[in-house]
This record gives sequence, structure tokens and C-alpha cells, in this order.
Amino acid sequence: MKHSFIDRFGDLDSPLHVLDARTKIVGFTALTVAALLIPAGNSGQFFAFFFFIAILAGISQIPLQYVVGRTAVILPFVLLAGLAAPYRGTQRWAWLAALLLRSTLCLLILVLLTNTSRFAEFLRGLRKLGCPRIMAVNLGFLYRYLFVLSDEIMRMRQARDCRRVGALGTISEMKILGSMLGTLMVRSFERADHMYHAMLSRGFSGEFPVAAPRRFSWRDLAFVSLVALFIAATFYL
Amino acid sequence: MTDYAVRITRLNYSYPDGTQALESIDLDLKKGERVALVGPSGAGKSTLLLHLNGVLKGSGTVRILGQTIADGDLKFIRKQVGLLFQDPNDQLFCPTVFEDIAFGPLNLGVDAQEISKRVEKALSDVMLDHSYASRSAHHLSQGERKRVALATVLAMEPNVLALDEPTGNLDPGNRRHLIELIAGLPATLILGTHDLEMVLALCDRTVVLDRGKIHADGETSAILADAGLMEQHGLEVPLSLRSRRG
Repeated sequence: MKHSFIDRFGDLDSPLHVLDARTKIVGFTALTVAALLIPAGNSGQFFAFFFFIAILAGISQIPLQYVVGRTAVILPFVLLAGLAAPYRGTQRWAWLAALLLRSTLCLLILVLLTNTSRFAEFLRGLRKLGCPRIMAVNLGFLYRYLFVLSDEIMRMRQARDCRRVGALGTISEMKILGSMLGTLMVRSFERADHMYHAMLSRGFSGEFPVAAPRRFSWRDLAFVSLVALFIAATFYL
Repeated sequence: MTDYAVRITRLNYSYPDGTQALESIDLDLKKGERVALVGPSGAGKSTLLLHLNGVLKGSGTVRILGQTIADGDLKFIRKQVGLLFQDPNDQLFCPTVFEDIAFGPLNLGVDAQEISKRVEKALSDVMLDHSYASRSAHHLSQGERKRVALATVLAMEPNVLALDEPTGNLDPGNRRHLIELIAGLPATLILGTHDLEMVLALCDRTVVLDRGKIHADGETSAILADAGLMEQHGLEVPLSLRSRRG
């Protein structure tokens, strides 16, 4: 089964990819917060941000089609969530335009953040920035086994479809779906059991070991400084 | 100093639901010996292998290189016994191949500098390029995952290797490569498998396990050529032996 990996381009070798994950998390998060603070109607600032993100996307060597396509897929959901927020002010169209532009900017930044590091590096960065170890470990397991589970679901669906002739009633379909979900839960539990045995077999005693950490370099400092200068320039000049 | 790598004496084990999985198992493996554990599905092969490193504990005694698992230091036992699981997805749970291979040595307290060397050596032992170190398991093919899973075990430098269906779900090419790999390993080997051609290629001694009991233990060619014995326990004489008999 073809999987849609979050870090599909995380293995590239661009100037952004070589930065420490912490630098990218801090830098891109700062850009996201700044994007959310751009006042509605301030087209100059929106343009500056889109231009800056476009430059970063170019430097990252991630295909533009992928960046835009990924953003376009997630955008409707973000907009729906945004529309549910209470509206204030009198200029509704300016508010809607700002919502669309801010959402697009944030998603572009998110796509860059997740595709300029491997997911493992991203989690390590989060951990170094203070994310609780248990949360980082669980996210790692979740990402690792998401694709195993989706393959399992695909096989179950194929097995179901091979033995289904014609349309069944809604109640029958729901019953089958319920059985499939129950079976998936049991299989997940069994897999977790096997995984635990595998961990014990390799000496695990409850605490996750840590190998040598990555080093911060002048490139990381340069990136963070550039982002800070850019945000300051767009807000105060 | 004992001549035996593994000594199992009157081992009994029941699953939590009460099903008897292993019954009065007596099995000794000398150092350097290569033993196949064959039997139908559900015979208890995997269950027996899980007793070798203390993951499962039944009644009876299991001794690894002279040390009894029940009283012994589990860290020592798990360093000595490398267990390869049937499904590599169970064994590869870290974000990258490097971290998966390093997991075992790190748990054993190996220092950070030595870890990189162990990872490189383990990848080389399973004939994978060092570029695999930074990849994630879900990006690998089944054959590659099997090799990486073996590497995770080899990195701990065990003296006893317990392999559970190592050639399961592999295409002929990958199967052949894995058999060649295993043939070159110096450790004492116990191989739980249905792949009887592999057994002929790798093991001098074969034990037939069925419904939790040992039914035969002897020289591989003699055991596998016994058509009656094979049929009785849900197996069959391997094609290469049938061809030789004509």
C-alpha cells in the first residue's frame, strides 16, 4: 500500500535540512505565530510573508507541487474550523480573506517544518525543547505503527470486499464495520504485546536509552536570527 | 566452564487461559551446535524460543551458558541470547534503523562511541549499506526489514541465536541471501521454522515439536527423511530428499 508520509522529503540535503530540528521548530513556530498576528487588511505584510515562505520553500528543494498540493488538501478543514470561531468587527469580507491567508501561510509553514526533518529528528527536537519523553516516545510509536495498521485495515477491507456480493443493508454494514474495528483493536493489542517482548529481548528495563545528541552550529544561529529580523521588519517597519 | 550453551530441563508452560503449551521439554544444545525446531503451526516453537531469554517463564529449568534464568541476571541472559521474531514489524519499533540497532547495546550500557561501531558492523554483517542507518523501517521492503531485524539482534553480540521463522514471507532471492547470512554466523543456533530445505542447509540436528512435546530429536537428514514421522506431525519430507530417494 502506498503511504502518505508526513516526512516524505525529510531526507533531502538542502541548507534547511541540515539545521538542527530545534532551530526549525522554534523558527517556524515563530513564523506561524507572527502570521496569525497579521492584522486583517494589511496586504503588504501578507505579501512579505508569502514571499519569505516562497524563498524558504525554494531553498528547501521540496517540490513546489507537493508543498502547494499538501496545503490545498488540508486547507478546507482548517477553514471550517476557523469559520466556527466567533466573528468580531464590521468588515466581514476582510475578516474572511485574512482567515484564508493566515490559514494558507500557517499550512505552508507546517509543510516546510515537517518536510525539512525526518520525523524522528523532529521528535528529538521536541524532546530537547522540553516535550515530556513519554509523549515523544508515544508519538514515535504512533507514527511508526500508523502505516502497519493502515496496511492491516486495507487487507481487512479487501478480504471483506472479496466476500461481499451486492449491497448489504446499513445495519449489516455497520455490524461488519464494528467487527472489523474490534478485530483491529485485538490485533493492535497483540502487536503491542509482541513489541514489548521484542523490547525485553533487547534488554529494555523500563527507561528508554539515548544515543549522542546533535550539535548546534552557526547555521542554526543564522536561521533563527534571520527569522527574528524578518518578523521584526514586517511588524515594525 | 560448561560445554552447553542451552540446557532445558522438564520445562512446562501453560497460557493464561490454561492451555498447556509446553510439556516436559528436555533439550540441550552444545556450544556451536545448530539445531532446528520443526513442527506444525501451534506446536509451541515460538513459545519455547521465548523461554530462552526469560520473556516467558514456565516451571522447570532453563540454563543459558550455565546460568539459570530464574535466579540469574536477566541482563546477562538477554545479552547472551539474541531472539529474532517472526514479524520484523514487532522488532523494529524505533524511528530510524540506527536507533533500532542501537537500542539493544544502549540497554546493555555500551558507551556512545562503541554504539556507532556496533551499528556499522551489524549493518555490514547483514550486507546492508551504512546509508540504511538513517532510514525508517516503514520505508523498507520486507526483505530489508528482516535483515535489519537480524542486525538489531547481532549488534548485541549474542552467543546464542534463536530465530523464529527467519525466512517467513520472503521472496526466493531474499530467502537465499538470509540463509547465506545465517550460515556465516558463529553463534550457537536454534531455528524455529517450517522451511525444511533451510533446515537441511543449516542444521545438523533437528527436533520435532508437536502439541508442546518433543517427539523426535536426531540427525537432520534421518529425521526429515522419515516420511511417517513427518506426516504424523503435519510436515512432509523436503523435496530435495524426495528427489534423492527417487
